[in-house]
Amino acid sequence: MTVNADGAAAAAPYPAAPAGPPGPGREPEPAPELVQLLTPEGEPVEHPEYAIGESADEIRALYRDLVLVRRIDTEAISLQRQGELGIWASLLGQEAAQVGSGRALGPRDMAFPTYREHGVAWCRGLDPMQLFRLFRGVSNGGWDPADHNFHLYTIVIGSQALHATGYAMGIQRDGAVGNDPAGADGGTAGEAVIAYFGDGATSQGDVNEAFIWASVFNAPVVFFCQNNQWAISEPLEKQSRIPLYHRARGFGFPGVRVDGNDVLACKAVTRKALQAAYAGQGPTLIEAYTYRMGAHTTTDDPTRYRLQSELEAWKLKDPIERVKAYLVRAHGADAGFFQQIDREADELGERIRREVRSMPDPGPLEIFGNVYAEPHSLLAAERDQYAAYLDSFADTEQEAAQ
Amino acid sequence: MAEAKLTPEQKLAMYHRMLLCRMFEERVYFLFLEGRLPGTIHQSQGQEASAVGICSALDAGDMITSTHRPHSHAIARGVSARSLMAELFAKETGCCRGKGGSMHVGDAGAGMLPAIAIVGGGLPLAAGYALAFRYLKQPNIVACFFGEGAANIGVFHEAVNMAAIWNLPVVFVCENNKYAASTAVEKVMRVKHVSERAAAYGIPGETVDGNDVEVVYQAMVKAGSRARAGDGPTLLELETYRFAGHSRSDPGHYRKPEEVAAWKERDPIARYEARLLAEKVLEPSEMTKIRASIELELETAIAQAEQDPSPKPEDCLTDVFAS
Ligand SMILES: Cc1ncc(C[n+]2csc(CCOP(=O)(O)OP(=O)(O)O)c2C)c(N)n1
Ligand SMILES: Cc1ncc(C[n+]2csc(CCOP(=O)(O)OP(=O)(O)O)c2C)c(N)n1
Ligand SMILES: [Mg+2]
Repeated sequence: MTVNADGAAAAAPYPAAPAGPPGPGREPEPAPELVQLLTPEGEPVEHPEYAIGESADEIRALYRDLVLVRRIDTEAISLQRQGELGIWASLLGQEAAQVGSGRALGPRDMAFPTYREHGVAWCRGLDPMQLFRLFRGVSNGGWDPADHNFHLYTIVIGSQALHATGYAMGIQRDGAVGNDPAGADGGTAGEAVIAYFGDGATSQGDVNEAFIWASVFNAPVVFFCQNNQWAISEPLEKQSRIPLYHRARGFGFPGVRVDGNDVLACKAVTRKALQAAYAGQGPTLIEAYTYRMGAHTTTDDPTRYRLQSELEAWKLKDPIERVKAYLVRAHGADAGFFQQIDREADELGERIRREVRSMPDPGPLEIFGNVYAEPHSLLAAERDQYAAYLDSFADTEQEAAQ
Repeated sequence: MAEAKLTPEQKLAMYHRMLLCRMFEERVYFLFLEGRLPGTIHQSQGQEASAVGICSALDAGDMITSTHRPHSHAIARGVSARSLMAELFAKETGCCRGKGGSMHVGDAGAGMLPAIAIVGGGLPLAAGYALAFRYLKQPNIVACFFGEGAANIGVFHEAVNMAAIWNLPVVFVCENNKYAASTAVEKVMRVKHVSERAAAYGIPGETVDGNDVEVVYQAMVKAGSRARAGDGPTLLELETYRFAGHSRSDPGHYRKPEEVAAWKERDPIARYEARLLAEKVLEPSEMTKIRASIELELETAIAQAEQDPSPKPEDCLTDVFAS
């Protein structure tokens, strides 16, 4: 029995895979399919499985999300450059993937982000200041995950896929997966989890183990991979021989590739995957095909490893412009609407600049906060010791101040 | 690709090797029961066709990696019963100078890296060794043995993906013996065959009868020539079964007696013996001679190992680093 075939090399727009000549029994694969509901020019696209279900007002709201989230990002980069933030991981170019998936979530669903999910944070209802506290280094975490069902930012690449799967299995064991289609809720009133990670994370063993657990136990989790083509300076074609959404095949669950710059498609695809999870049908892998327009973080200079022409090509697929064009053409949005959103963005920017600069520095002992869920005697002893140590400088500081 | 033709001598050699694997394990089993050997053991009765079929398709310069269940791999690769036995007795004459024991047997000079008992631990090493072959422009390949349980470990994914993207000359040989300790494979895998995982990495995957030594051999020749030609890795799944418990302390109560009996019907050695007799490659009189010579080889190995010196305390810090 021979399974699988590799032929991704031939498939546009996926870059040529460095595979050898196809071996015996390996047939070329069809070109990867991309779910798209809105072209980069803002033309609606018919799709056999997915449709634009949003009203004009809902699309306006999504447009507002996209613009405000981008403004949060540009303000953050400026603030970092002025020394007001320690670091920032820009989401520029990925607004649609994040807002589309973020707005597909129900209030009871739980999201597990990386460090770049500012757009998802916005959709979950976090105040941007909570993000800034973290990146300014004045908070140990930034927020309580339970407040908005938005877990803490996770830096250890791919590890949150495991946390998310474990959480999803917990939901399952709580009986919150509506896997009884004959039940009163029609099998739809479930809860689910979404795990965000990047293309680079797919090379991590942790993500693989999460796929195994989720597939075997049918856990209600959506794996949302933002393939932004780069893992810092490592391009995708050095990380995988296949289109990433095909990865799920090896584990026996569905994978789908969506235009990650199309907010409507991202929302529709995520919605469907969540519904499958609610109904007890288990995990889905979504590959949101997008591009990181900015640097990896503010400490990175992408001109050292990638071509400007690549950036120019992706500029034409901007996630905001296509919604703007669609709103004007299909829903008669006028200049007044766009001006009003821009004004709101200006106000948000102004508030961010003001509030970030006036954030109080934490006292040194706050480092001991949020380490354990319950009081811990060893930690208390360390804190007391450190406090005593700080006190030993008291005289000197008074002298210095005089 | 046309099948490689096996000569009667090759067939007899494979039969002999499988029998040596089996008789070694059975002898060792009793040595443990008698309390003459220290530690624990993971035995491979029933899996001889996979070890011997794979290793018979390798060249002298090729390398294998192995697992916590390494005895048959070592014998199939040509590590002598003498040095293997001495290793189990923790004697200086052992293949790892008595410092490795059952779960770490091997001999790089014979083409077998000392086994790694950390489940999945051999996979990244195999990929790394294959990269070294490529880097040094050596025409060799690596055969990486692991169990179906190891296919669920993160490093499996990292190693196979990396070998796939770099087209490394390695064959990933999954001995699917249906159980990882007491865990049945269907409880921890949503796909039917481990080989289907290959789809996740864009490499060929194949499942074959792991209890038919010639089938295993032919599959390895095919996968090996692909690797040698620079066409990258293959995920080869061998369907087999371990007759013994997981380890010395495991009576295997989680398996139904009928299941065990059904697999014993497919004993790789009995099957091959019957085939070779039918093909007249093997004569009944020869069978007795082969068994007698193996018995003698094992008894000599045991007698010598028991008399061999133990590693000296002052040597406990040698052989830790390569240089
Ligand atoms: C386990 C681990 N290894 C390495 C790093 C360093 N690191 C930080 S971001 C990154 C790249 C991640 O790329 P990708 O998953 O594509 O996400 P993206 O940054 O593109 O959103 C790496 C290697 C880390 N944080 N964690
Ligand atoms: C990383 C790690 N986890 C757990 C163990 C304990 N352990 C030893 S063997 C084994 C089962 C391995 O099953 P499989 O890979 O199918 O090989 P088999 O024993 O069937 O040959 C486990 C869990 C280990 N040695 N290493
Ligand atoms: Mg990336």
